[in-house]
Amino acid sequence: MHPAPTRSRAVVLALLACLVTACGAGTAPQAGVAVPDGVVTIGLQFAPRSGFAVDTDDAFVLTQLGAVETLVAVDGERRPQPGLATEWTQVEPTTWRFTLRPGVTFHDGTPLTADAVVGALRYVAGVAAPPRAIAGAALTAEADGDAVLVRTAAPDPILPLRLSAPGTAILAPSAYAGDGPPSVVGTGTGLLRITEADAAQGVTLERFDGYWGERAGVASVVARFLPDPTARALAFRAGDVDVVLGLPEPAVLELQSTPDVEVQTVPTPRTASLYLNASAPPFADVRVRRAVALAVDRTALAEQALAGSGLPASEVFGPAVPWGGTGPVPAADPAAAADLLAQAGYGPDNPLTVRLWTYANRPELPTLATAVQAMLAGAGITAEIRIGEYAAQEPELLAGRYDMMVLSRNLLTDLPDAAGVLTSDYTCSGSYNLNRYCSPEFDALVAGLVDLPDPAARQDVFARAAQLLEADTAGVPLVHTVDTSATRGVTGFVPDPANRVLVTSELARTG
Amino acid sequence: MPGTLGRRLLPLPLVLLGASALVFLLPRASGLDTTRTVLRSRIADSAPDPAAAERVSRELGLDGPLWQQYLLWLGSALRGDLGLSFSTRTAVVPQLVAALGVSTLLTASALLLAGLVGIPAGVTAARRPGGPVDRAVTTLSVLGAAVPEFILAPLLVLVFAVALPLLPAAGWGGPAAAVLPVVTLALFPAALAAQLTRAETADVLGTLHIAAARARGLSERRLLWVHAARRSLTSVTALSGMFFAGLLGGSVVVEVVFAVPGLGRLLYDAVLAQDLPVVQGGLLALVTIAVLTTVGAEVVQFALDPLARRAAR
Repeated sequence: MHPAPTRSRAVVLALLACLVTACGAGTAPQAGVAVPDGVVTIGLQFAPRSGFAVDTDDAFVLTQLGAVETLVAVDGERRPQPGLATEWTQVEPTTWRFTLRPGVTFHDGTPLTADAVVGALRYVAGVAAPPRAIAGAALTAEADGDAVLVRTAAPDPILPLRLSAPGTAILAPSAYAGDGPPSVVGTGTGLLRITEADAAQGVTLERFDGYWGERAGVASVVARFLPDPTARALAFRAGDVDVVLGLPEPAVLELQSTPDVEVQTVPTPRTASLYLNASAPPFADVRVRRAVALAVDRTALAEQALAGSGLPASEVFGPAVPWGGTGPVPAADPAAAADLLAQAGYGPDNPLTVRLWTYANRPELPTLATAVQAMLAGAGITAEIRIGEYAAQEPELLAGRYDMMVLSRNLLTDLPDAAGVLTSDYTCSGSYNLNRYCSPEFDALVAGLVDLPDPAARQDVFARAAQLLEADTAGVPLVHTVDTSATRGVTGFVPDPANRVLVTSELARTG
Repeated sequence: MPGTLGRRLLPLPLVLLGASALVFLLPRASGLDTTRTVLRSRIADSAPDPAAAERVSRELGLDGPLWQQYLLWLGSALRGDLGLSFSTRTAVVPQLVAALGVSTLLTASALLLAGLVGIPAGVTAARRPGGPVDRAVTTLSVLGAAVPEFILAPLLVLVFAVALPLLPAAGWGGPAAAVLPVVTLALFPAALAAQLTRAETADVLGTLHIAAARARGLSERRLLWVHAARRSLTSVTALSGMFFAGLLGGSVVVEVVFAVPGLGRLLYDAVLAQDLPVVQGGLLALVTIAVLTTVGAEVVQFALDPLARRAAR
């Protein structure tokens, strides 16, 4: 695909964004203290794609809105905390016992019992494609008094963390009565109860007075799905929504200087990286990979190419996770890159030309690819950009028939544990090892996670693994994505880097 | 008239059968792995378990030979069952009916508005070709035909939702929410209707038939609005049939910008997600509607134009 249409679309979007920001300020309610029993309207960027099926990624919408809960919660450090289960113990290598929280009632009035939890877990484990967090775990469950015994095929040191994934949320038995996916209307346990759910338009929720935890500060929440970024920004400017997520950059700049509007930015676990195919020349030679890493100015990519809508990456994991890289971002050094290329046999007499792939599904990627192309040219590497559709490119990528690719990957979608992504993406036999990276030292490090239940110790291994990848130049992490939100007339809204929670008991309208 | 209608409707089953084969085969000719795309939309896993992919393929009915899949789908479709959506795992028909209802309301309102604005504007402009009204209508209609929806929609929102907070910026439900999407969608057909009506009316006004009517002492107003305008409407009515079917499934930009849960957005999302039952069912519905509205437009054209009636005989 030719890049020109993308550029024209970018120009049009920029024009529209200018229009968005050039108009007068929308109506702003008076700032003040929290008002009890208010209504908050939220503009969400992603609509459910699977009819709110709890076993799919639609479960994120349900946990974000405070409608459903999991057995285990996680704290800011991404460590397990009591949720619908108050405690858990590993009674056998393959069996964990989860004690259920007493006094929990589903939104339909039925109590949370061990049988209800068993039914919910059996459903989610039995669907054709179980959630990532429990896929392949061969999970089974059975009631044990006021507790639930959960068994896995192999010893699993992080089963509690797996059961914190939104896809393992527990719904009332009545939710599973129909033929299709479980119904989410009035069947959760969260602080808000869904009264209407329309995957094309939005969700309406009301406070659940029988909630076991702290009472919600709002009487109801209306969530509207507004997939178009410009439309989301305009809806916020028009006062149609009080909270908006995923703002386009020009709108962010404008709203930051708008009175009564609070703009918050939070890093996400999504990283855009330059993948390098190490299974074939020229990137089989680590000197060429290092030359590429030296040629790329990651700070300029984040601050100039993306106009600050990303953070420069020093490692594959960024500030969204506790073990993310905090060291200085490697500086670009085109001269050193050219020296390394010369050592590898490339230079004016033998110029290096490679194909640089990317896809337009994420609008920032062609921009990054164009900037990377210019930076590589500074070190003497000619990169021919090819922009396509990811779905069409994927078979070639998996087969190792490419040179380099700018690709964006969410590294920790639902499980606050990196063992899965490190195994699939970077071990020699990894199923998504696009870099074709293979290091016995790295494989041994990741293999050790199997016997490591302590979250802090695991996070230490994740950090060491990321450093090893950086040292071996298994691809070049470019930027970490940030999510931006804006609020007006509300208090208690704290964006979640893990994208799991939006509505908490602290959220309230102000007057 | 009934004979003409019958002749027009006779090939419909054959057209639909051909369309059914096309709408079944075309999405599969994209070269994309449907199972993997569906898996990705359910759980965004870049490296799905092959066993899960096999189970999903079986669940979706994609594991049999293509001819078998087609015959099963066609048999169900003939019984009014378009299957289950790959994405939502719920019946396709209610989804299509709901989206079609929204799009029909949106499109019909837009075409009605376009007619109410465009036709009188065109007729008035034709009254004095080259006059100030004609020049104004021509300029505005050229501008209206040139401004794309993705520019007009946010502009209208900026003016009527942000600067003058009179209407909601997005969403669907209630007449206020429909105003901006309807106006956005109506602009192009209104501009086209004005241009066509102006040209046709100017032609009709120069015919002997009008000169004779004028000689009989009919008032200029009656000549213009009854005799000339009526005959000049034939091309507009012929186009409206095609416009209706096109806008029903093709107003994706308006539906996305205004978050309207219509057929265009449903089909757009379904194509991206390789939700084949929704794509197939939606396209089949659109083909049926296109044929029926074209025939319907011809019927209206016959009623309006005596020359066309004579020609058909």
